[in-house]
Amino acid sequence: MPGAALGGIVLVASLLVGGFGLGAALFLAGGTYVAAVVSAGHGVDASAPLVAVLLLLSGELSAWSLDERWRIRPEQPLSWRRGAALAALALGGLGLAALVVALAAVPAGHGLALTAAGAAAAVGAAGTGIWVARR
Amino acid sequence: MTGFTSWRLPAYASLAAAGVVAGLALGRVEPVALAAPFLLALVAAAAGHDPEVSVRLRLDRDRALEGDEVTATIDLFSAADVDRFEVVLPLPPELSVDGGPARAVRLQAGEARTIELTLSCDRWGAFALGPLLFRARDLLGLRSWEGDVGKAQPLRVYPSEETIRSLVAPLDTQVFAGNQVSRARGEGIEFADLREWQPGDRLRRVNWRATALRGALWVNEQHLERNTDVVLFLDTFAEVRVEGRSTNDRAVRAAATLAHGYLQRRDRVGLVGFGGFLSWLVPASGTRQLYAIVDTLLTSSVVHSYALRDVDVLPPRTLPPKALVLAITPLLDSRTATALLDLRARGYDLIVVEVSPLELLVPDAASAAGLAHRLWRLQRDALRWRYEQVGVPVVTWREGVPLAVPLEEVNQFRHLARPA
Repeated sequence: MPGAALGGIVLVASLLVGGFGLGAALFLAGGTYVAAVVSAGHGVDASAPLVAVLLLLSGELSAWSLDERWRIRPEQPLSWRRGAALAALALGGLGLAALVVALAAVPAGHGLALTAAGAAAAVGAAGTGIWVARR
Repeated sequence: MTGFTSWRLPAYASLAAAGVVAGLALGRVEPVALAAPFLLALVAAAAGHDPEVSVRLRLDRDRALEGDEVTATIDLFSAADVDRFEVVLPLPPELSVDGGPARAVRLQAGEARTIELTLSCDRWGAFALGPLLFRARDLLGLRSWEGDVGKAQPLRVYPSEETIRSLVAPLDTQVFAGNQVSRARGEGIEFADLREWQPGDRLRRVNWRATALRGALWVNEQHLERNTDVVLFLDTFAEVRVEGRSTNDRAVRAAATLAHGYLQRRDRVGLVGFGGFLSWLVPASGTRQLYAIVDTLLTSSVVHSYALRDVDVLPPRTLPPKALVLAITPLLDSRTATALLDLRARGYDLIVVEVSPLELLVPDAASAAGLAHRLWRLQRDALRWRYEQVGVPVVTWREGVPLAVPLEEVNQFRHLARPA
C-alpha cells in the first residue's frame, strides 16, 4: 500500500507540473501490485487484467488532460473519437490480458500444439517489439 | 516536418518489457498480464503514418483600422487520413481571436477543409502574420508530426482617428494655394481692405459704393487663400504604459488625426519622430503623404536611449520656415523640452499638446509614493510655465477627453494672446 500511495502522490504531482514523472508513477503502481501478488504467494490473481487496464487508463487519461491544457479548440467529433479509441484500446487490452491469464491456467505439458502456440506467441511478441521500434 | 513520439511510448515500452522480464524471472503470469495492454498500445502507435497535408494562409485584406475585424482563412488539403490536425496562427498581443488562434480538425484522404479565424484589431501597428504552425497526431496522440508552413502575411492596422471640428490655424502661411486665409492681400474670397484703383485692376473688383462716395475708382482687396506647412513633432523618448493603455498610443492617434485634418485642407504636413529612434518625413501634401505619415506612425515606438539629441540632427527641409510645429509629448523627457524650446527660439510657431500620463498613475496619497507624485506634478507645472514664458501655448489632453477640446483651448489662447 505505501508503494501505491506513493505512486498516487507522484501521479498527482506530475499532473501539476505538466506531466514530468508520469512514467515513474505508473512504474511505482505496477511494481507495487507485482510485489503484492508475489508476496501473497498462492495462485493466479484473477484481477490482474483489470489492474493492467486501470494502469493503462491512468496513463492515457493523464496524457489527455495534459493535452487539453494547450487550449486548442477542437471539432466536437475529435473528442468523441479519442474517447472511443481509448475505450477500444482498454477493452482490447482487457481481453488480451485476460487471455494471458487464462492461458496460464492451462497445465504445462498439455500437448505439442500448445507448446508451439506458446513459442509462436513469444516470437510474435518479440517481432512486434522490433516492428514497433523500427516504426 | 519533424516527427515526435509522446513520452508515453518509451514509458509503455519500458513497462511492457519490465512486465515480461518480471514474469519470466518470477515465474508469475500477473506481470505479463500487466504488460499486455501496453503492448497493444505500442502496436496502435506503430500504425500511424506520416501526414501529407498542404496548408495555405490568406487574409481578406492587408489594411484595417483599429477596432476592425480581419478574416484569416486557412486552406487545408490532405492526401491521406489525419486523425487530428492542429494548426495555430501566432498572433501579436495587439490582435486577438475569440476562442484562441489554434484549431484542431480531422482530415480525410482527399478532403479540402477551410478554417476561418476572425482577428480583432485591438491596437494599431504593422504586423507580419505567419508562418502557420501545425501538428498532425494519431488518434491517441502517441505520435505527432510538427512543422511550420507558409510565408508571413503583412497586415497594417491604422490608428483610429478622433473627431475634430476645427484645426489650429497657423500664424503664417506659405506661397502655394490652399484653404487657409492668409494675411496677404490679393485675389481671394475674404474681404480685406479698400484701395485706390491702379492700372491692371479688373473691373469686377471695383467697389462702386466707395467709388460713388469718393468720386474716384476704389477696388476691393481680399485675403489670399494659401496653404500652410505643419510639422507634427512626436516625442518618442518615453511613455507611460499601464494595462494596455499608453501615452504613446494616444499620441499616435492624435498625430494621425491631425495629419488627416491638415492634409484634407491641402496643407503640407511633415512628421518628426523625436526619440531613441529618430525618424522624419519632409512636409508634402496629398493622399500619398497621408499614407506615408500613417505608415511611419505604425512603426513608431518608444526606444529607450541615453543619447543627447537636438533639432540640429534633422535635415533642414524637415522644418521649413514659418511652419506650424505641433508637438505631441507626454512631457517626460527633458531632451524633448530642450529641443522644443530651441525651436521656439528659432522663431517657429510652436504648440505643445501634452498627452497627460497622470490618469495612468494614481498612487496612494497617504504613502511616500503620493508625495513623490505631487513633486512630479510640480515639476511638470514648472516645465509648462517655462513654455508659457516664451509664448508657447501648452494644452493638456487628458484620457477620456476628445482631442477637439485641447485644440479649441489653443484657438482660445491665440485669440486672447498676441504672439511676440
